[in-house]
Order: sequence, then structure tokens, then C-alpha cells
Amino acid sequence: MSVPAIVSAQETRAGAIADEQARKAKELAPREPPFAEKLVLAAHKLMVLQPAGVYPYFDSVYSGGGFTLGAGYRHFTGDRTHVNVAGLYSLPGYKLIDAGVASRGLLSGRLDLRASAGWRDATQVAYYGLGIESPADAGAAFRMQQAYGGGDVTLRAKRWLLLTAGAGYEDYTIKDPTGDFISVESTFSPEAAPGVGANPKYLHTTISAAIDSRPAADYARHGSLFQVTRHHYADQDDTYTFSRLDAEVVQHIPILRENWVISLRGRMESTLGDDDQVPYFLLPSLGSGSTLRAYSSWRFRDRHAVLTSGELRFIINRLALDTAVFVDAGMVAPRLDAITTSAFVTDYGLGLRFHGPARTPLRVEIANGREGTRLVFTASAAF
Amino acid sequence: MLISGAAPRFLSDDPLAREPDTQDASGVAEWEIDLRIDLATNLFSNPGDSARDVRAKNVNTIDEVPDSSWFTNRILARPIALDGLSRGPLTSEGPAPGAWTVVSPKLAGFSPGFTMLDARGARWFVSFDAAGHPEAATGAIAVANKIFWALGYWQVENHLVNVNATELVVGDTAVFTPESGRKRRMEARDLDAVLQRAHRSADGTYRAIAARAVDGRPIGGFRYYGTRSDDPNDIVPHEHRRELRALKVFGAWTNLVDMKAGNTLDAVVTTGGRGVVRHYLQDVGSTFGTGANGPREYDEGWELLYDGSLLWKRFWSLGLFIAPWQTVNYNELPAIGRFEGDRFDPLTWQPRVSTAALRHARSDDTFWAARRVAAFTDDMIRAVVRTGRYSDPAAEALLADVLIKRRQKIAAAYLPAINPVVDVSLANDGRLSFNNAAVDAGVAAPPAGGYRVEWAVFDNTTGDARAIAPAATSPQTTVAAPGLLPDTPGAFVRVRVAAAEPAAAAWRIPADVYFKRSSNGWLLVGLEKGTP
Repeated sequence: MSVPAIVSAQETRAGAIADEQARKAKELAPREPPFAEKLVLAAHKLMVLQPAGVYPYFDSVYSGGGFTLGAGYRHFTGDRTHVNVAGLYSLPGYKLIDAGVASRGLLSGRLDLRASAGWRDATQVAYYGLGIESPADAGAAFRMQQAYGGGDVTLRAKRWLLLTAGAGYEDYTIKDPTGDFISVESTFSPEAAPGVGANPKYLHTTISAAIDSRPAADYARHGSLFQVTRHHYADQDDTYTFSRLDAEVVQHIPILRENWVISLRGRMESTLGDDDQVPYFLLPSLGSGSTLRAYSSWRFRDRHAVLTSGELRFIINRLALDTAVFVDAGMVAPRLDAITTSAFVTDYGLGLRFHGPARTPLRVEIANGREGTRLVFTASAAF
Repeated sequence: MLISGAAPRFLSDDPLAREPDTQDASGVAEWEIDLRIDLATNLFSNPGDSARDVRAKNVNTIDEVPDSSWFTNRILARPIALDGLSRGPLTSEGPAPGAWTVVSPKLAGFSPGFTMLDARGARWFVSFDAAGHPEAATGAIAVANKIFWALGYWQVENHLVNVNATELVVGDTAVFTPESGRKRRMEARDLDAVLQRAHRSADGTYRAIAARAVDGRPIGGFRYYGTRSDDPNDIVPHEHRRELRALKVFGAWTNLVDMKAGNTLDAVVTTGGRGVVRHYLQDVGSTFGTGANGPREYDEGWELLYDGSLLWKRFWSLGLFIAPWQTVNYNELPAIGRFEGDRFDPLTWQPRVSTAALRHARSDDTFWAARRVAAFTDDMIRAVVRTGRYSDPAAEALLADVLIKRRQKIAAAYLPAINPVVDVSLANDGRLSFNNAAVDAGVAAPPAGGYRVEWAVFDNTTGDARAIAPAATSPQTTVAAPGLLPDTPGAFVRVRVAAAEPAAAAWRIPADVYFKRSSNGWLLVGLEKGTP
């Protein structure tokens, strides 16, 4: 043994080792973790491991509301059932308070139940008018306050087959926006802003079926999603009752063992009844970091919306980093048969995605379209 | 060799056969090495000794690893019969039949499992194949367990068993921690949830690995760098332990990609009346081509989880940089997964996350390890693979064939990389014999110019060597001494052996071999090789 040979005049190698061990025996100490290690462990316990108690909360109040800060409190009442209270606040003054109860993984992981009630205040939601040709400089906005309460149930009939049904009460109050925006009411006629001035109260029911073979919804390099959702908004005085059908198809095509991935998406939101009155703030829309990425949130609204997106993703690191080039194209229209690809609004761009095995905590993209270039910062996958 | 000028070079008990543990380590406390910290430390920093090209510090004077609480010389050091190899570390027939009492769910790793007491009260850790992946995880554990035992590591006793759910009972004291984090008594439905994730055989049973609880008091895993500050016997930094450096070679051979500290286990055992920490390479199931939940990712064994240079290459080339793993053809059988030997390159093989010990491995460490890999005969490999009890003969044949191919590539890569002179002995009549490990493994031709041999009398106190005769060259690996050698007990001779011109530069670096005269003849006490 080489180490003791340097430090000992022992006549045997074993004796030299014994000397060294005896010396160490006088200096024994438990391991003291470095400060950075303690810090990381404490943060992990607070933000990941801690199933109950107070936790930091980051989410969107409403599209266009900007970065939020928030906190929540979770308390388990059973193995998988917890009650939760959470609040969010963003710089433009968007607010959300939500309280709910959720029970996941019942029936051997096949059934999820969820109920929640809350109140949302979106202080300056943009409105540009109807149609794909609506001007970008309308500068109008509204403040939407929404009280809600309801629940849903999700059944995993198979690992890849999800059936969801939900019902909830939604009470909308539309006000003038905060800040320098001009109100929708003073800018648009009732024809250009259906339901302007109305504050409807809805019983909102949904039913949805999805075939989902993706490993995870928020990050996947293979698999597909086929999802159809029917919404019915039953207005209490029946003026603004309407139904909408949403359909979404996502396909991830890996190339050369996921060195590249072609990701494709098609999405449609279609108001079902031609005579249904849909308030302008509940119309299908395009524009945001997850639809037409070069356009601001809620940029295009009408009774029908179609969106297509294609990405070529470069898997720079399997566990942490993708880059992508992407193209989005879509349009909104008053009638489904008015949707034509020649009228699609398009954009293209580059993206950088920091991800984990199942989540995309940071997506940074630069997108260019006919109205300029936008930078997207968001905490979810594009699709 | 690290010695002081004043001290004799060789001490009376050299070469040391066993690394002693002289202090009582019963006070060593249990710790938990956090996976994230361990992973980040090894991915993004270089823990341990910052100096490189440091000779392993736990080797003895003949460049071998003594037996210790880390390692036991088995293959190459002594004959291992096929049936002994097939039993490996198993000392019993497995869990006693009868009712098995589940005492807790499995707390570590991804595979479904639980801890149970057998009918005799022995504690076992049971893990299953993941649903849809029969024989994959359990087969890998069963086979790798014997291989790493033969290589010399302390191994847990792993038995392949069939579990009948009707013979399982949940113990009264079993505790379960659900998603809520609030511990409660484990119930039958919790056990059902475990079994739902496991692969169920056609006969309704579940194939599993039952790992017997190790003797002594478990105290957590070990790091591949530094020493444990509360273990008085742990005096050699782990990155300088040859048997840990050697995992660069053993890992490549078996595709042991998951070398995290969490897959190791230290336990305090009582030997000679005092507590000693025994170091287990506990979980060697992350081997060959499957993981706990199915086939390995394509890049496992080829790339670290994070490699900055590869990241930038892919970034700037928009993915046009193509790595070897992206075009490898696998004969992907369900029980074996993605494991191949044709494109395998031991010099470029990578675990998911490297270790300080691997980063410190030198050519003398990898040579030492490669000799042990090369010592596995085809028959031994096929015998050990049979212990995986694969129902598909093609799977058994594939695993053995790939291990044989990879063994040859390891031998070819590492044995010729330094002077391959080994097994040197000096007979009473002055005849020196040695072997050439690379030639014996069939991965190199004998040096065309033969071997150059220099004899000298060696003064163990001063370190001076006096030539006995001019250097001579011989085509043989048996060479007679030039004239009479000293016959006084305690006298030393040094023989310097190297390949003569023309030969590869690495083979021309001499091996200095030291013999000490005893009443029984010449005793090998020293072997030193320079590294290229």
C-alpha cells in the first residue's frame, strides 16, 4: 500500500496501514454537507417533494396576463385526495384565487375527480374585432372578471384512452380595462363585438374523448393525440347559449432515434349553431405563444378558428434541451366554409426549449409574422 | 512506486495480500446520498483529487489489489468452477417457502417491488420485471450479480424466484407512504398496486429477484471520491481505489450504465470483534440492454447524460452531427434489449454519469481490469448467462455472444496498451518465467524482436541496483539468469523486462520485477510498470 509507506517507519505494510487508520480514528467527524448542497435539498423539498403545505405557484391567470407570482396551500385528506387553495398575481394586475379538491388515481389509477371554485380578474384583455383581417392597431381591451365553480371526472379506459366530462357555473362580468386601453364598448358596435355590454352566467358542460399515446402532454418526442371536446354554454337567460366543438390532432414523428423530431398539430374550434350568439370574449381565437406565435394573445377572434403548426425539432440533449424551427398557419372565420388555406395567417420562427423527461419549464422562441417579430417566454410546450 | 528514501522499499509482509481494517468502525452513521446532488456533482464538476495520472493507491507492491472490505480476488487469482460461478454470491437456496410477509413497499429504484420476511423470518428485497417486459430486469440482475461477484466485488445474494400472490400477506407493522406523504399501515390494495406494475406470467405467478438483506447495519452508499470522514479504516480516497477505477472496463463490458452512489451500499459488519464497513456494489441490474422499465435509451452506454462538447456540436450542426448510437443495429430481443458487440468500442463507452474513479483510471488500471474480463472463458460466460433463466434460447445465446464479443474488444483495447508482462516467477535454478497477457489473450503477436531482460542485485535499503550482466534478448518467455544469483535469505534481485525493438512503444517501457530470496526460493515482491 503506497500511502502509508510515505508516512510510516513501520516494518510491515500492515502496520503502516494500522498507523494511518489509528491516526484517522482520532479525527473522525460526521460529514457536513456544503452550503450549496443544503440549499438545493431544501429547495427540492419545498418545491418538489413536499406534498402538503405551502408551495410556490407559477401559472397563467389568463392568456396575455404576463408572468405571475403566486403561492398555494395543499392539504391531503386521503391517500390521493387533497384540498388546495392557490393565488396568482401578475404585473398587469391579473389575479386568480382558486380553491378546489382533487382525487387522482382512483380505481387503480383509472379515475380522476376534481372540483374547484374561484375568481379570476383579467384586467386588460385585448380585442381587435372579428375576422382574420381585423386591424392590429384597434387598441381596445376589456376587463373580464369571472367567478366559477364546478367539477370534472376523467376516466382512463385504457392507458391511451381518456374520457372526460365536466360541468361548471361561470359568471362573467365585463368592465372597462385598466391602464391606457380604450374599452371595447366604446370602440366596437354590437355587430363587431357580439354580446358587448352583456354579463352572461353560464352552466358550462363539456364532454371529451382523447386517444393519447404521448409519453407526456407537456413534453414528447413520439406519440400522438387525437382529441375531440364538445362544449355547451347554457346561458341563464338563454340569450347567449351556444355550443362549440374543439378538435385537436398532434403527431410527433421521431427521425433517426429521435435525433430530429417532426411535430405536427392541427386544431379547430368551431361554433356549432349558426344562430347561436357567442359573446366576443368567448369566441374562438388565435394568437399567443402556443397558437400563432408571432401574434399577440387574442389577436384574431371569430366563430370558427383553425390552426396548423409544424416543427422540426433538434434534440440537442435528451434530458434537457431541444431547439426547433417552426411554422404556424391559421385563420378565423364567421363560417366554417369560409376557412381557406389561401387566407391563412402565417408565422415562422426559432425556439429553444429547456425540458425534463415530461415537462417543459422554459420555452423561449422568436417568431416572425406579417405584424412583426415577437419573443415568446413560456413555461409549457407549444403542443 | 511511492516510497521514502530512508525507508526500505519492500517491507517484510510485502506483497500485502489483505488490506487490514484495524479500527472499530461501529460508530459510522447512516447517511443518504441524494440522487440529484450526486448526479449534478459528477456531471458538472470533477470531485476528488484534482491531480491526474496518479497511480492507484490501494495496490500492493506487485501491482495487485489486496483483498479488503471492498474487494476479494476471485477470477484470475484462483480457479472458479462453472458451478461455483453459477452460484456466485448465493449462500442459500433463497427465501424459505411458505407465507411471505410483506413489511414495506420498495423505496428505491423504478422497478416494482417490496420488502418481505420469508417463512423463517429472513428479510428479502423483492423486485419484479416491469409489466410487458418479462425476464428483462430480473435476468439482467441474476446474470450481472454472478459476473460482478466473480470479478471480486461484494455482492448481494440475489435469487430468481416465482412469486405467487396468494402466498403474500401484508404484515401488521408494514407501513406505506402514499402520495399524500402521510405514512399509514400498508394494506392489501397497496400490494395489489405493486403487482399491477409487475409482469404477470401465464401461470399467474410473478418472476422476481429476491435479494437477501446484507449482514450487518446498512449505512447508505459510498461515493466514488474522497473517503468517509467517520470511518477510521477508510484511508484511501475512493477515486484512487483500483477496483473502483476498474469499473471503467467492467462497466463497458456489461454496459453497467448506472453507477450512481445510490446503487452502492455500505454496511457495518462485525469481524474480529470490531465493526468494519463492508462496501457492496449493490445494484448491478442496470446492465446489458434493458432498464427497469424496458429497453435502454439508444444513447445509453454511448454518451453521458450531459456532454458539453456534444451538445454544442448538435446545436451548431442542427442535429447533423450523427453519433454512432444512432446507426447501430440491434437484435432487439425483449429480454435482452439493446445490447450489441459489433460497434461497441470500450475506449469510448460511457455510463450515464461518470465517476471520479473512472476519470482517474490509468492504463495500468484498465490493463488490470481487462485481464479479469479476458479470464472469462466462453464456457464461463455461457454458464453465467444460463443463470438468467431466459425462456427464449435466442435471448440466452444473444447475451452470451455479445458478452464474448465485447470481452474480445476489451482485451484488444487494453491488454496491449502497456507492457503486458505478467505472472513473473523466478525458479530456484535461476530460470525466469513470465507471460504476455496480450499474446495469451490472442489480441497481439509476440514481439518480433523478443524480450530484453536485464538482471541486477537490488539493495532494498538504499534502492540501488547493480547490474549482474549486460542486458540480453530472448525470443522466449523463459529466460535463464546470467550466472549465479545471491542465495542469502533476504537478498533481492531486480529483473527488468521489456519488448525488444521493433515493438510498440508501450511494450518497450520496462517492467521492473523484484524478487526476495527466502529459504523456500525466490518470492515475487515487486512489479512496477511505467505507463505510456
